[in-house]
Amino acid sequence: MKSYAKMATAATLAASTLLPMSVRGEDAKPQMGGELVVTGQLDKTMFPGRNTDAGGMDVYLNACENLVEMAADRTIKPVLAKSWTMSDDLKTVTFHLNEGIQFHDGTPFNAEAVAFVFNEALAKKFLYVSLLEGLEKVVADSEYQVSFKLSKPSAALIPNLAYRTMCIFSPAAYKATGEEGLGSKIVGTGPFVMSEFAKGEYVLFKRNDKYWQKGKPYLDSIRILFVPEVTTRVAMLESGDVDRAQGVPDFDIPRLSGEDTLKVATIPSLQQNYVVINNLKKPLDDARVRQALNYAIDKAGIVKSVFAGTGATLSQAPTLTPGVFGFTDMREPGKDTIFAYDLDKAKDLLKQAGYDDRNGDKVLENAQGEPLSLKLWTRKAGKGEYQIAQLVQTFLEKLGIKTELTVLESATFSASLSLGPQEAKYDLALLAWTIPTADPDEPMMYMTHTKAWKPAGANRMFFSNPETDRLAEAAHAEPDTKKRAEYVRQWMAELLKQAPVIYLPTVNLTEAYRTYVHGAKYLPAGTYDATQAWIDKAAKEEQGISR
Amino acid sequence: MLKLILARLVFMAAAGLLLLTFLFGLFHAIPGDPARLIAGDSAPEALVQSIRQAYGLDQPLMTQYTTYMGRVLHGDFGLSNFSRQPVLKIVMPRLLNTAKLAGWSMLLAMSLSLLLGSLSAMYWDRPLDRGITAFSLAGICTPIFVTGILGLYFFGVHLRWLPIGGMTSWKHYILPVLTLGLAQAAGFTRMVRACMIDALGRDFITTARAKGVPERVIVFKHGLRNALLPIITFFGLGLGHMLGGAAVAESIFNWPGLGRLMVDSILTRDLPLTQGCIFFFAMVFILVNLVVDLLYRWADPRIAHD
Repeated sequence: MKSYAKMATAATLAASTLLPMSVRGEDAKPQMGGELVVTGQLDKTMFPGRNTDAGGMDVYLNACENLVEMAADRTIKPVLAKSWTMSDDLKTVTFHLNEGIQFHDGTPFNAEAVAFVFNEALAKKFLYVSLLEGLEKVVADSEYQVSFKLSKPSAALIPNLAYRTMCIFSPAAYKATGEEGLGSKIVGTGPFVMSEFAKGEYVLFKRNDKYWQKGKPYLDSIRILFVPEVTTRVAMLESGDVDRAQGVPDFDIPRLSGEDTLKVATIPSLQQNYVVINNLKKPLDDARVRQALNYAIDKAGIVKSVFAGTGATLSQAPTLTPGVFGFTDMREPGKDTIFAYDLDKAKDLLKQAGYDDRNGDKVLENAQGEPLSLKLWTRKAGKGEYQIAQLVQTFLEKLGIKTELTVLESATFSASLSLGPQEAKYDLALLAWTIPTADPDEPMMYMTHTKAWKPAGANRMFFSNPETDRLAEAAHAEPDTKKRAEYVRQWMAELLKQAPVIYLPTVNLTEAYRTYVHGAKYLPAGTYDATQAWIDKAAKEEQGISR
Repeated sequence: MLKLILARLVFMAAAGLLLLTFLFGLFHAIPGDPARLIAGDSAPEALVQSIRQAYGLDQPLMTQYTTYMGRVLHGDFGLSNFSRQPVLKIVMPRLLNTAKLAGWSMLLAMSLSLLLGSLSAMYWDRPLDRGITAFSLAGICTPIFVTGILGLYFFGVHLRWLPIGGMTSWKHYILPVLTLGLAQAAGFTRMVRACMIDALGRDFITTARAKGVPERVIVFKHGLRNALLPIITFFGLGLGHMLGGAAVAESIFNWPGLGRLMVDSILTRDLPLTQGCIFFFAMVFILVNLVVDLLYRWADPRIAHD
């Protein structure tokens, strides 16, 4: 048996960058009591198996805990599991569980419960099943020992188990009330018990007095108000109606930063914007053309004009963001981003691919005199997606490519971008991808692999490259973290050559909160964990807030 | 009278079913796959397919339609695709919340516009009339999201007199009701003024004046009663307009109402929920029109005799 905990520690050393995160007030002594009021968003059910949105996690993570969690330094820390070991063939991972823990409904937490949750996830296809690829079944070996049986080794299993949506809910409650029941009242082992829920209004969590970690949590309750309108959210924070608001607009940051009573935190997220390039359409099947598109976009200009200079970070590597396992800075020396803006280089690459302005109309043509024109699709959603698409259009036209921009309504866009290679009609489409588990397995196996072409996976580019496929598969099965990190690095280097997409900046997450709130964590996946938060009551009173 | 009410109720039921059929057709004609939206953009096809099966979205359209309509006839509007809660359980409290907001706003708009409109007509072309006209024109021209956000920042953030979002205490009502009510009052005032100017120019008013009836009684008893018929119609239509405006006000003031729910459900292609929302909106609208018809009879007994 190998100790997986040791391997996880080695992962820290291998990862070149620490996971950025906003953590506050760790030095002062926590005070007990009080209610924390924050804004949130819950569009779907509260049942973890059917809601993997960051907003959904923010809600159920208060009541529902995982076997393991990922700490700020990317190490895997035990939570409900005490320790874990791996069989020699790497196909069985065994967890030893903490004893004496109870779910909020009084039923015991044990190996049976863990096995039930994951077997049910496989059988009922919970939304996160694609992250459990290779998992055959979960078996309770004894009261407090549970084994995960894999069909082939998977280095991503344990980091993925830290993904908040894979929390262990009460099987008894699930059997009694089903997904619908847990969807409006989540029952887990966590530090807070769900006590009230008014859909579209608020959810209230009260302190779990029987919580298994003695002395925690500090707060009496956490109230999450659902405020979809961002202007209202900011106003509520400023007036003191709430203690924390998420998704503060970039252009409000300078004003809010000037307030003594507020703190504004900006952290890089795991979400990177990109332009899907349909690799099957001519001439986009030529890597030189795809590279040219990348060099033609002024990424720094986008950050400045769409994100007020602070709302996004220039990408340092293809697809992976700092904090993801195996991330390496892939920029050329002296450049601020990969594919740094270079119009001449872009023109040169297109010339090599056979495109030049042959008749002086500032539009590039091929040898037959046909102009190069592309269709770019976007939607009016996300953080500034439409504005980015407009800039991409401008930059491509500057390069000499006629670009037709089409704006689709979100649901239509999503359906049109989910079609297979025969039906897909786009040349280019602006999207964003996220690596919520901070592990590269999903981008490698599920976003860029040939087997993951839409509709089976999330490879909408219909990109296919034997070398990246080989490296992805090798990394997927490699238990040695150093070797795995090296595969990831080689995979990124190959992506830079292939340029399957146009790489754009990584979006930053912004939150603002009252200075008397301490100990809450805002994680790069966009989840807000306030389970260990506390309120400085004197400071709160000083600010005239008497809620 | 009873016959009228009965006929209207039958019409309501028929209109409701027709509306549901229309919505069903519309939802399947526009692009967008609910199962895909539930699973998320990057979900594998196998997962999307399993959701389609679980929610019955893989059934032939006709089967989906008949199952749904069959359930509706039994008072079951199904489960929301996203939250997996019964539609009725979601819609009813929201409808009540919107009714509270619209009701108070309507009350404010009606009383204020009757007062200001009458005053405007009484002092026609005098400074008071011009002042009131300026107020109503400004109100008509300024969209709710502008007045709403300005009010929110001034009274909520700057002065801290009023809470900003939600509907937990009476104080929470003030800003949304004022925003929505004043915007509506502005339009109503113009209408009341025009009707009153017309009524006050009639012969019987001149007669009353000649008899020495006090001006207050002339305007508010005789004038208003006779101007009331078109005003009632306008108020009825105004309520429909207000329900639309409520969706905007609900977003700004984080009011958990039906308008906001409906907009969200359309964007997420949550068909059962959208159908529930629009169905009940339509029912409210038809009911309001019934009330308007009944009020006609009260305002002008001649209609009942016809």
